[in-house]
Amino acid sequence: MMIETAPITAVMRALADPTRRAVFERIANAEEITVVELTRGSGVTQGAISQHLKSLKQAGLVAERPEGRNVYYRAEPEGLAPLVDWMSHYGTFWRERFADLRTLLKEIDP
Amino acid sequence: MTDAAVLKSETQDIVVDEVFPHTPETIWKTLTNGDLMGRWIMPPTGFQPVEGTHFTFQTTPAGAWDGTIRCQVLEVRPHERFVYSWQGGHEGNTGYGSRLDTVVTWTLAKVDNGTRLRLVHSGFVTPKNDSAYKNMSEGWTKVLSRLGSVTDEQH
Repeated sequence: MMIETAPITAVMRALADPTRRAVFERIANAEEITVVELTRGSGVTQGAISQHLKSLKQAGLVAERPEGRNVYYRAEPEGLAPLVDWMSHYGTFWRERFADLRTLLKEIDP
Repeated sequence: MTDAAVLKSETQDIVVDEVFPHTPETIWKTLTNGDLMGRWIMPPTGFQPVEGTHFTFQTTPAGAWDGTIRCQVLEVRPHERFVYSWQGGHEGNTGYGSRLDTVVTWTLAKVDNGTRLRLVHSGFVTPKNDSAYKNMSEGWTKVLSRLGSVTDEQH
């Protein structure tokens, strides 16, 4: 189960910029969203938003779907995969194991 | 921004620390009895709570790695401290399934209402500041807010 993903540096670099991260959060919070909608209330130009979208696309964090005259953007959760490493795996793993241990102890030592 | 600045490696620990309303003796059993371990960690193969013993856990394979976690009992101090190595993965993988050379340390301490059990899983080689990403699987929003605080520190 090898997963082809953008290198971790590309993902981190894409999300390091606060404006770009804000753009990504808005996309993630929406089902699908257009450049015009993203620009509205963002305080930056549509051209700047387009540049951020380009970086996010290159990092594999965002996908686009053209429809008529509009292009709809959506977040690609798999794009964050390079950041999910052993440490995140075991952070979750051990917290779940502790919960299982609590249940087991109730059974064997009520 | 250079890659070196972002990917400066260091090792980090995972720590889980909880109080259980049971005696250290009871909790010790769940840590050091193979059958009981299998009921909350994973079933071990070849396990004996004896220093020097090699044993394995079987988990999900990835790439060239068959999913075997290789362990060796390093320290046994009944009802107080239990340490084993935890190795696996393969050079060819990144993220889950990459080379792993870590140590699991269990510490038990008697407290008023039971036992404080502390797990330290140490030796993770991670990109700088990676600990902020460790809860990613818990939720999209939480992840993003954490990413925010980390990446802000880099600016």
